[in-house]
Amino acid sequence: MELQKVLELLDAKQFNLECPRCVKEINYAFVCDLMSDALMMLKKMPSHIGAHGALVTGLVTNQALRTAEILDLETIIFVRGKTPTMYRASGLLFQEGVKSYESVLEEE
Amino acid sequence: MESTITTYNIERNDIGNAGTVASLTKRALKRQGLSREFVKTVTIGVYEAEINVVIHSYGGEVTVEKADDYIEIIFKDVGPGIESIENAMTEGWSTASKYAIENGFGAGMGLPNIKAVSDEMDLHSSKEGTTLRIRFYITEDCYER
Repeated sequence: MELQKVLELLDAKQFNLECPRCVKEINYAFVCDLMSDALMMLKKMPSHIGAHGALVTGLVTNQALRTAEILDLETIIFVRGKTPTMYRASGLLFQEGVKSYESVLEEE
Repeated sequence: MESTITTYNIERNDIGNAGTVASLTKRALKRQGLSREFVKTVTIGVYEAEINVVIHSYGGEVTVEKADDYIEIIFKDVGPGIESIENAMTEGWSTASKYAIENGFGAGMGLPNIKAVSDEMDLHSSKEGTTLRIRFYITEDCYER
């Protein structure tokens, strides 16, 4: 799914506008507030898939950025205090064909 | 090639800077041509251990040694120590504070995850402090093709 479409679908705002090397499309997502979960679950995720994946989280801290950096995830979707909520945002992304990371690991 | 040793300090409860050592280590290893997958595996271990020092200890020091055929990282803190290493190694067992949990940690997965990603791991603890040593073997497969 194109990043531009994600922005419209979730009524979201993009923060790093100047990022020519960033991915323009996301195909996978992982939703969590506990960074430990992401580190545990995504450690076997191939990095080329991670690059097209997003971390969906309500944790708006340095640690969300660090976790994405360590896991080679290029996009973070912050949902704290937003409409749609984390649950609904995840549903909307899923409906548009964004797969869960678990499904990738199951396929491999 | 000679081995390189880098040392960093970790401050107690400095959650804002937690992950700095992992991030710097990641960049240094990438520059040496190591693969993204291998670098990710190493830095997950470093990051989890770094978080542990920040949220559980009174502060400490990390030494990262890069040799030809391994990377070894030693975390030494100054207490208060882990009461039961057996419990700490159990998935889901946690003594984390509310502060740690609010910052996305304290799920009780840190040490089990460090064990899962590393090739060697030793953990020693007393009231005076905890020392964690983790080692990752570098083989030809660990380099970017």
